[in-house]
Amino acid sequence: MKRLSFVEVVERLNKFWAKQGCTTVMPLDTEVGAGTFHPATFFKSLGNEKWRTAYIQPSRRPTDGRYADNPLRMQYYYQYQVLVKPSPREIKNIYLDSLKSLGIDLDLHEIRFVEDDWESPTLGAQGLGWEVWLDSLEITQFTYFQQIGGIELDMVSCEITYGIERLCMFIQNKNNVFDLEWQNGLKYGDLHKRHEIEHSKYNFDESNIDMHLKMFEFFEKEASALLSKKLVYPAYSFVLKASHAFNLLDARGAIGQSERARYIARIRSLAKRCAELYLSAAQGAATTS
Amino acid sequence: MNTATKDFLLEINVETLPVLYPRPWVETLQKELIKELEAQRIGYGGTYSACNKNLLICYIKGVSLHQDEISREVLGPPKHVAFDKEGNLTKQACGFAKTQGVKIEDLKIKKTAKGEYIYVEKKEKARPTKDILRDVVPEIIKNVHFPKTMRWDSSGFRFARPVESLLLLLGKDNLRIKAGNVPQKKVSGVTASVYLKKIQKASLIDPDERKDAIKKLILGKLGFLKADPQVDEALLEEVNFMVNSPQIFVGQFDKRFLRLPKDVLIASMSKYQRVFPVLQKGHITNNFIAIIEKGKRDMAGIRKNYENILEARLKDSLFFFDEDTKKPFKENAEQLKSLIFQKKLGNMSEKIERLKGLSRFICEKLALDEGLKSNIQRAAELSKLDLITLMVGEFPSLQGVMGGEYALKSGESKEVSQAIKEHYLPQGMDDKLPGSLEGSILAISDRIDNVVGFLGTGVDISGSFDPFGIRRNTQGLIQIIEKKALRLRIDEVIQKSIELYNDKLTVDRGQLKDKIVDYIKERIEYLIGDVRPIELKAAILEIKYFDIVDIFNRIKIFSSISDKKFFSEAAKIVERTNNILKAARKGEIGKVDKNLFEETLEHELWKAYLNMRPKMQDLVNNEKYEEATREYAKAFYKILHDFFDHVMVNTEKASLRLNRLAMMDTINRLYTERVADLAKLPQIIVK
Repeated sequence: MKRLSFVEVVERLNKFWAKQGCTTVMPLDTEVGAGTFHPATFFKSLGNEKWRTAYIQPSRRPTDGRYADNPLRMQYYYQYQVLVKPSPREIKNIYLDSLKSLGIDLDLHEIRFVEDDWESPTLGAQGLGWEVWLDSLEITQFTYFQQIGGIELDMVSCEITYGIERLCMFIQNKNNVFDLEWQNGLKYGDLHKRHEIEHSKYNFDESNIDMHLKMFEFFEKEASALLSKKLVYPAYSFVLKASHAFNLLDARGAIGQSERARYIARIRSLAKRCAELYLSAAQGAATTS
Repeated sequence: MNTATKDFLLEINVETLPVLYPRPWVETLQKELIKELEAQRIGYGGTYSACNKNLLICYIKGVSLHQDEISREVLGPPKHVAFDKEGNLTKQACGFAKTQGVKIEDLKIKKTAKGEYIYVEKKEKARPTKDILRDVVPEIIKNVHFPKTMRWDSSGFRFARPVESLLLLLGKDNLRIKAGNVPQKKVSGVTASVYLKKIQKASLIDPDERKDAIKKLILGKLGFLKADPQVDEALLEEVNFMVNSPQIFVGQFDKRFLRLPKDVLIASMSKYQRVFPVLQKGHITNNFIAIIEKGKRDMAGIRKNYENILEARLKDSLFFFDEDTKKPFKENAEQLKSLIFQKKLGNMSEKIERLKGLSRFICEKLALDEGLKSNIQRAAELSKLDLITLMVGEFPSLQGVMGGEYALKSGESKEVSQAIKEHYLPQGMDDKLPGSLEGSILAISDRIDNVVGFLGTGVDISGSFDPFGIRRNTQGLIQIIEKKALRLRIDEVIQKSIELYNDKLTVDRGQLKDKIVDYIKERIEYLIGDVRPIELKAAILEIKYFDIVDIFNRIKIFSSISDKKFFSEAAKIVERTNNILKAARKGEIGKVDKNLFEETLEHELWKAYLNMRPKMQDLVNNEKYEEATREYAKAFYKILHDFFDHVMVNTEKASLRLNRLAMMDTINRLYTERVADLAKLPQIIVK
């Protein structure tokens, strides 16, 4: 098996999915917890318009920081996100082909689909599917969307989210993410280690709780105001900012158990309004044209 | 009768199902298919079902190719309408024959409860089984329940996971059925039984055979490793539905992780990676056993990958463990104030105070000694502290267990540690109970506090859903009390819990206690299962004196004597006195007044009662319910019989009537109030 570098893995996936008719879009420039938050997934999975996309999305999970001490866990990592709508019958086999295209021998190794009903309470999103295990390493989340932004979906999308680092660890046969080859001999750690350590310190020890509490309020207010003005994209970007502020507060343990649920509900209600506004505008456009 | 038969086979190929779905689903599917065949009058022979993670199969031998013929009667107009005075058929009768499609010669006359009617005998057509299967099989597939279903295409068809294909064979015939857009698999020239044999040969589709095969592999390796020959059955069943053809290997992790608590190591392996821990004389070792799908695989590579992943997870656990034990365990107490138990019910710190109060109350009721009491108090105090630890944040299933570990590490006694560890037990019907008395009392207190809190703030328990775990809590509570033989008046404990909640509860407190007591009775009824006669349960649960151990005890005694003569006699006494009291108005009946007696039999009956009363009380106090029943029958059966034969209870004279009713009431209650309300039984026949 050729040892693909991190960048080569992304290139191969881009190529593979482009051949499947996926539009390659660029990563979102706002902090998000997963590729699902990208408008190319969140908005585009709504309604009954066909859509196929694939993209890389840097993802932040402040509580997962381990000061670069854990070989698998990081507060900043990369997801490779694919959305295929509607989901074709052979989607599972297409996915397995994508692994083969990376040089992974599925006969020599073991692929397992393990039940995992995915849910994003902040996005009001929910789906059924699996974690995909490669020799017990979780490399992908495979989901049939049932609901987004609290809206039951008529046309079901299939979302495939690869953990690129984990795939690369397998391909390059490395035990530690920071030892991965990024490109041309440069290591993942060379690019990310200091970033990871400093952000872990920030997330757990240094972030300004008061400031983030206030920011949350600001972002929420702004999102709400923009929703009333029917500016759905700007409104949504502030929902994402609020969500990230919440995640940072959560990492600092600044939010009690009951409050936590209430914060999530506040974000969800905004996300839901965004989804509804997006849909009504899309339907409005369809009827006037 | 149709004797021509063929074998039936239904095969559903589906994308990987959740591990616990296939087995109960095919079992229900089979039952439903059989039920339908019977309802449709289609004969059948033996049945067989099989399943794995992506295959569901039901096979039925010797299915008749046609329904059995049946004839039924269709009633027409009454005879006096069907014939005129001269005895000729009327227009109505001819019309009836016409609409039924029969000749007038075929009309017959029959006597019914309402008089004579004309009727026709009609043969129902025996439809071909094929046609019926095409109609009913898709409906049955749709209606057999999965815990969660999904949609995956525009048809809106729901199943647990996307269905890849369907096959329905009757003999060699492929029957087309429609279920959403699911494609039909085609098999040509093979009968259902040959097809079944073919797939049986290809892999272990029988879930029991497969499970045995996996178990055998594991036990073999355990023997080789000189390890304890124990296999986690729950994990085994999960793995049974992750792998179709098993293959085994042994992996290892670094010994430095062995300083983690055993339960953390076990959870990391079994819950998160689905591999089997290896124990030697009860101690955990750094080996594990993995079952994977058979194939020509890179075993060394796979093993290395499994080991690396496990070690990364254990490294995380070690990080949590070291962080959690940096400061004394007790210091977490402050944080409990900001940890919400439930929105309306306040924080965990308040819950701890209630647990202390309630467990103290139970200790006093059980007259436990000071040592036990103070252990339980201490355990209650520390019981929820682990909820703020990183380890429980990561492994929620280790709540309690980690609390016990951390308590021990910070110098608490073994007894206190164990009580904390055990207080969430049992987790389900088949789970183990707390081993110690301390753990049991704490577990009871915690459960009562949960049930009272949730029901006290209006949580609905009517549905089959149990989101707050009320059913699980209640059943666990009953199991602990019964199995540990704790003589408690549960109604008193509930009352105490309601008081401890103070003003937090939102529903009427008086009704709440009754509601919970009723709910506990309902769950007891469920846990008791089958007894004969079935009404015994209601008869015993009707008793006001509410002690769970005593209830189970009575059930045992009564179901062993229910076929005895003295039992039916006692029941008859209760039934007869009860029947005569039905006519009386509520509150009308007072005390028995001897001075109003007119008949000798009244005096005699009263004397029998006075004799019996102290005896009865004595027997009941000593919980000798069999003797109490025998004595009651002996004392009253015959004399009461005579009494009813010779004395008129419901006489004109009100004072006399009420006095006699009062006597019936007294005799009735002597038994029904403290032994069993046998009036709940169906009508008694004394042989």
